[in-house]
Amino acid sequence: MPLLELRNIYKAFGGLQAISNVSLNVNEGEIVSIIGPNGAGKSTLFNLITGVYKPDSGDIIFEGKKLNGLTPDQVTKRGVARTFQNLRLFTHLTVLENILIPQHHRLKTGWLGAVLRLPKYLREEEEMRKIALEKLSFFGPRLMSFRLHQPVYVLSYANRRRAEMARAMATGAKLLLLDEPSAGMNPKETKEITQIIRRFRDEGGYTIVVVEHKMNLVGDISDRVIVLDYGEKIAEGDYKDVVNDPKVIEAYLGRKEE
Amino acid sequence: MRNTILTIASVGLAALALYLLSHMQGTSGLLSALTLIFIWGIAAVSLNLINGQLGILSLGHHGFMLIGGYVTALLMLPAKERRPFRTRLLSDWARNDLDLDKWLRGLGLDTIANSVDLKFVIALFLAGLAAAFIGIIVGAPSLRLKGDYLAIVTFGFGEIIRLLPNAPQVAAFTNGPLGIKGIPGNAGSIWWTFVVFLLVIWFFSRLKFSSYGRAFEGIREDEIAAEAMGVGLAYHKVLAFTLSAFFAGVAGGLYASYLQSVDTQTFNFFVTFFLLVAISLGGLGSITGAVLGTAIVILVRIYGGFLEESHTAFVGYISGAAVMLAAFAFSVYIRKSRRLRPVVEPKHYIFGGLGILLLLVALLFQGQPWMTQKVQFFGMRRILLAVILILIMIYRREGLMGRAELAWNKVFGSREDIPSDEQRDQDAWLSNPDLNPGAAKEDDDASA
Repeated sequence: MPLLELRNIYKAFGGLQAISNVSLNVNEGEIVSIIGPNGAGKSTLFNLITGVYKPDSGDIIFEGKKLNGLTPDQVTKRGVARTFQNLRLFTHLTVLENILIPQHHRLKTGWLGAVLRLPKYLREEEEMRKIALEKLSFFGPRLMSFRLHQPVYVLSYANRRRAEMARAMATGAKLLLLDEPSAGMNPKETKEITQIIRRFRDEGGYTIVVVEHKMNLVGDISDRVIVLDYGEKIAEGDYKDVVNDPKVIEAYLGRKEE
Repeated sequence: MRNTILTIASVGLAALALYLLSHMQGTSGLLSALTLIFIWGIAAVSLNLINGQLGILSLGHHGFMLIGGYVTALLMLPAKERRPFRTRLLSDWARNDLDLDKWLRGLGLDTIANSVDLKFVIALFLAGLAAAFIGIIVGAPSLRLKGDYLAIVTFGFGEIIRLLPNAPQVAAFTNGPLGIKGIPGNAGSIWWTFVVFLLVIWFFSRLKFSSYGRAFEGIREDEIAAEAMGVGLAYHKVLAFTLSAFFAGVAGGLYASYLQSVDTQTFNFFVTFFLLVAISLGGLGSITGAVLGTAIVILVRIYGGFLEESHTAFVGYISGAAVMLAAFAFSVYIRKSRRLRPVVEPKHYIFGGLGILLLLVALLFQGQPWMTQKVQFFGMRRILLAVILILIMIYRREGLMGRAELAWNKVFGSREDIPSDEQRDQDAWLSNPDLNPGAAKEDDDASA
């Protein structure tokens, strides 16, 4: 059984058919890339999976259960977390607080228990901090020690991207949706991100769906590539096959005049 | 541990100071100022939970305070004060039976009913609950809106709540526009407000530094991201709104019993406006700031009376000169402490020039009749508050405290966000290819 299954998804904004009849499967432990020209519907697809938009028709099934009609926070509780294309960290909060907030939904103590600092709450808080440090240590020492207590707005761009990935991991999700994880990064940092995404799967046991424009990153990490164009799935398969597919070349470069 | 001891010690000191103050002669003005600071501090801190921590502009706080005020008043009103209510508005039930005293005796709890203080605690709690209940009713439908729209809706609800006691059907309980007088005043004394104030500060600081407080701040920073990270918006917004309404109700109850009367004009829209000014002054999102802002506003209003008294024009000129010179000194200080281009520009000397000019005029024409005539500036207190607010918004937009709190760790401890030299070296090593050739090599691989 695939971890995530999309069945015949349709989504229109007014007269614009953003997604039409897209079906795809993501198996556990896979890294799947979704590529396509600008406006192909990649981010819309992410928004549909995470509950920001509701599909007009079709089913989104995660671990055998439907995600349709759930709000974004409920989707996250089920085990799907995302990062954003244009960073959406909690800018004025510290790095540590940023990684603690996504764990809030797992808190079992109510607000009164939290205010009274019941032993149960203190234990949970301790656990949350441990998990936060564990997730941040994925990225080496960069976000550790004194950086933990710095507000996010003093971090460098690359560190913010890393913090956002750590934040998505800390939700306790099984499936990570990374929206352009290497946008705005230099080649060295892109390479590092490539390794980190692979380590997400190998060491963290996550299943990963990536939307990306940098083809060498896509080629490096993907088990499977899915190509969207004008809201339709035009190709799927191995990276090498997909980039040589005439339909894909046409979508990116246009048709040659006869 | 050290922090706990320090906190208890300073609370003890504050209590001792209050005790001494209340036994000294001629301090009744100061005591009532402190009482007001505590009462309005509670209201400001509770509004701060929505406006500062959750980042939602709510303008309906006076409605919740009003509910608290009325509930406390009705429950606490002694039997002999009820009889003079000759108005036809009040129903028999409200006149005779809406009485906490009667209820408690009916339940056989005479010991509690004999103590005004215990009754007051119960009445305050019920006042908070009533306000919180209305808070849920108001909050649940309106909190799905955002920004200005929500502000307008909450303002509308606040005004509806404020005007309801005048409606004939509701006036059967509230005595309509005449309001309720004769609430036992000893229950609104400084000790009550002090204790409730401490409890509220304790509650809100614990809440702020818990997982729930972080979730609220996450919603303030980025609603979409917070939702995507599993923070349920509806639940957390309504929770914050309800808690805030509860403590607004408590503050309203305290204020009603401080005034010993309550009517629909006690809690008009200016109450919310005043609270907004106080928390913006102190710093949105900071509990310390909310209290500090309230204290400034109240002290200016109570002790600023001399500003509005009649003075000779000479005093006016001298104080004008002082203000101008202070502005000059301030602008020079601000300019000189800039890191980039610390230059004082010619325009800043205008203040200094004006100040000296005023001073000269005052000294040269000291004896002239137009100098000795009396002038009076009405409304100077409000102008002063407005000027303070303008200056803060220009020079320190986040308010006096920003989002920071006064904490023992900040006073005594080391700052965790500033790296030690060792950590700084480690950091440089990570990013500098000269120090870390391995990283540079990776770079070559990537570009190859």
